[in-house]
Amino acid sequence: MTPLDPTPRRGDAGDGLGARLPRIDGRAKVRGAASYALDHPVEGVAHAVIVQSTIPAGRVRTIDTRAASAAPGVLLVLTPDSTPPLRAASTWTGEAPTQPEYRPLEHTIRYTGQQIAAVVAETLEQATEAAALLRVAYDREPAVAGMDDPAAGEGNPLPPLAIERGDAALAFAGAPVRLTAEYRTPREYQMPIEPHGLIARWEGDALTIWEHSQWLDGMARTYAEWFGIPFEKVRLISPYIGGGFGSKALALAHGALAALAARQLGRPVKLALTRPQTFTAFGGRAATRQVLELGATAEGRLLAIRQRGCNETSVDGVWIEPLSSVTALMYDLPNFSSQQHLVPVNTVLPFAKRAPGENPSAFGLECAMDELAYAVGVDPLALRLRNHAERDPQSGKPWSTRRLREAFAAGAEAFGWARRRMAPGSLREGRLLIGWGMAAGTYPVRRSPGEAMVRVLADGTVEVASSTSDMGTGAYTILAQTAAAVFSVPLAQVRVRLGDSSLPRAPVTGGSQMAGLMTGAVDKAARAAREELIGLALTDPRSPLRGVANTLAVEHGHLVPPRGEAPPLPIGALLTALGRDRIEALRDTLSENGLTPEDRYRAFTTVSSMRPPTDGDYSMHSWCAHFVEVAVDEALRSIRLRRIVTAFDAGRLYNPKLAESQIKGGIIMGIGQALLEGGMIDPRQARVLNNNLADYLLPTNADVPSIEVISVGEPDPHASALGGKGVGELGIVGVAPAIANAVFHATGKRVRELPITMADLV
Amino acid sequence: MPSVTTLLTLSINGQDHVFEAEGRTTLLDALREQLHLTGTKKGCDQGQCGACTVHLDGERVLSCLTLACQAEGRAVTTIEGLAGPDGALHAVQTAFLEEDAFQCGFCTPGQIMSAVACIREGHAGSEAEIREYMAGNLCRCGAYPHIVAAVRRAAEGLA
Repeated sequence: MTPLDPTPRRGDAGDGLGARLPRIDGRAKVRGAASYALDHPVEGVAHAVIVQSTIPAGRVRTIDTRAASAAPGVLLVLTPDSTPPLRAASTWTGEAPTQPEYRPLEHTIRYTGQQIAAVVAETLEQATEAAALLRVAYDREPAVAGMDDPAAGEGNPLPPLAIERGDAALAFAGAPVRLTAEYRTPREYQMPIEPHGLIARWEGDALTIWEHSQWLDGMARTYAEWFGIPFEKVRLISPYIGGGFGSKALALAHGALAALAARQLGRPVKLALTRPQTFTAFGGRAATRQVLELGATAEGRLLAIRQRGCNETSVDGVWIEPLSSVTALMYDLPNFSSQQHLVPVNTVLPFAKRAPGENPSAFGLECAMDELAYAVGVDPLALRLRNHAERDPQSGKPWSTRRLREAFAAGAEAFGWARRRMAPGSLREGRLLIGWGMAAGTYPVRRSPGEAMVRVLADGTVEVASSTSDMGTGAYTILAQTAAAVFSVPLAQVRVRLGDSSLPRAPVTGGSQMAGLMTGAVDKAARAAREELIGLALTDPRSPLRGVANTLAVEHGHLVPPRGEAPPLPIGALLTALGRDRIEALRDTLSENGLTPEDRYRAFTTVSSMRPPTDGDYSMHSWCAHFVEVAVDEALRSIRLRRIVTAFDAGRLYNPKLAESQIKGGIIMGIGQALLEGGMIDPRQARVLNNNLADYLLPTNADVPSIEVISVGEPDPHASALGGKGVGELGIVGVAPAIANAVFHATGKRVRELPITMADLV
Repeated sequence: MPSVTTLLTLSINGQDHVFEAEGRTTLLDALREQLHLTGTKKGCDQGQCGACTVHLDGERVLSCLTLACQAEGRAVTTIEGLAGPDGALHAVQTAFLEEDAFQCGFCTPGQIMSAVACIREGHAGSEAEIREYMAGNLCRCGAYPHIVAAVRRAAEGLA
């Protein structure tokens, strides 16, 4: 069958998990019929525009709203003076608020680009014009532009992040080979192509929000708490999300404003951030720096690593970008010391961007391993194998599965790594300096409970419902595959509803946990529905199969007596005979995660029940190895990627076609991180200078070479119910160091700060 | 300055639409906010991302940098107008599906409109050429290799 042929295929198990199937939401997406947050037609909607501060620190003294209020079509101007406070909401980690009130607009300014006003008008054009008419007077105070600002200082130590394993200082001091280097990563931004925005509508005390969401239940909780209404009175709708990468997991200040304005006006309000506003309306990846000291034997066996790092945070909040997350566990390392400081600066509070922690952690470690390889004259891949960790050196627990060796072997084979000559500059093609570099990556398996409803209808179709979301991950498709496998029906007979907080609960689509936990929840609910069907078929007086056997199989959408005691009965025919229009089962996986029904609300609306990778008897992680080829123009010093091979172990792949797409997407975001992306901060105004997509460069099609990805994973029974490990964030981890190492191999120039540009190679 | 609207007639996907718009209203906002043709996406509103790509008289343009009034008297084609009247997908749409040339799908309407024009322009002769002539459409999910494969496949099918 071609991928587009919807013809049901009886008994083809090829529609179950593991099949390479096209995404079932694809047809809507290629027709422009997929409805994203701002696409929903809402009658009588007014348009809101946000105004952001132009100073980095101080106070809003006054906002003269006269001209704006008098402009055509203006319905409402919200300023810190005119905006009533909301109730404070608990945090996403589940902590109670420390103050009673939350003010989405404040007089106090802590960063350039903080929202200070909003204008609502009949049309977008009118609101935009009126917003430009606001006259803001500030009292300015000194600001800290970034962690390199002399006023920033060393920051604050973070004792819980400190690791002392063995005696790293002693082992380093006595090591035959010692290396010390500092690695730096800039502020990076998620920049999904769908900018942030929402539509808010009140009907009485019920609030409906159309907003892209990586976490329907968590965001609905925040809105409910802000407005002091029951959780059930908030309905968040997000069937399609135009990319998130960590940026769409929380309800944000502009969301509060839109809902507030809608309540005040008594009509729906649509609020869309402009692209420049998305650089400061929520946090991107924090800038980091780390000094690594590596001590090793002359053969390159690691003896000690000392890590001293820091990341930026905001002046009023804590964001941790844990720099030790890969360093602590990647290699067999007896002595490890890590300390990390947080440096408060005048920025929006940084937040999660794809693989927070693992990403900058791997950049430092995997560049340093390349430096060690050259220091001891050992091939970089051989050096890594020499330091292979047979168990997690940090927790002491065995790996659940770790097919990193297999990834190294498969990647090296496909790339042709064995032909590499060690010396930098040893590969040339005319004026092009060719470099081959490699690096490893890893991402932990995180686990939270999920909940799903599976319903079998009289026409034989199966419905799956959950509030989890699909931001391009393939959730719609793999959850359909999960149900199709249990009922042995073709994919075309399964419908999946996601992205609506009125559906069964789900935790955050983050931490690469969604596929593992939701396939488990859907599988459990589907099996429960199947058991009920079989029970009814065998016992109900109206069932044609009553008493024919002790059990029944479900095959090809039919109930099948095991030894041919009666002809197979279509599931739909049984329901018709029973006079039922459906059989349904709602199941959660709270108990599998050590939780009780009383934990339900908290478990799904906060991350408090997310289990770390070493909770249990094993240490559980996905693994990958990247091999890249770059070409550096000898005269221009321009860097071009020529090819990438990545082999990875993410356990069982529920749909290899879609998983490979996601791994490639991570790799491509890693290309951006390596060569293009970095917030440029004006030291005087603490402003993001390149706050648009022509100056903050994302990879374009022309920047991306051919990419081959190879799965070497096998099912991991400890990681998830159906054997998968995390995919979404794995692909980006290790890409930037692999590219940096390739640039070194091409040019002999070691660049330890991202992004690597022509200027670094002059 | 009071808002001044004029009556515009735009031919979109072969159908005339008559509506009131201000002179400053972009074609993108007119499509999305007034005509409810929301398949065309706003990714930056600055001509930097390509998500809003539509065709004017068969040529690709950025609808965020085009005023609605500039489209009068010209044939506008959006993603909604690409499939046949019977719902049959355009060859480029089919190729995008088959090659998994998208993930979140938000840039996809713009990518597809660009791809149709790219092939029509004769710029789909090689993978390198496709990469260059599709470089104006950003995809943050990183579907580029699959977009190239889809454009190639569609170009071969249409040749």
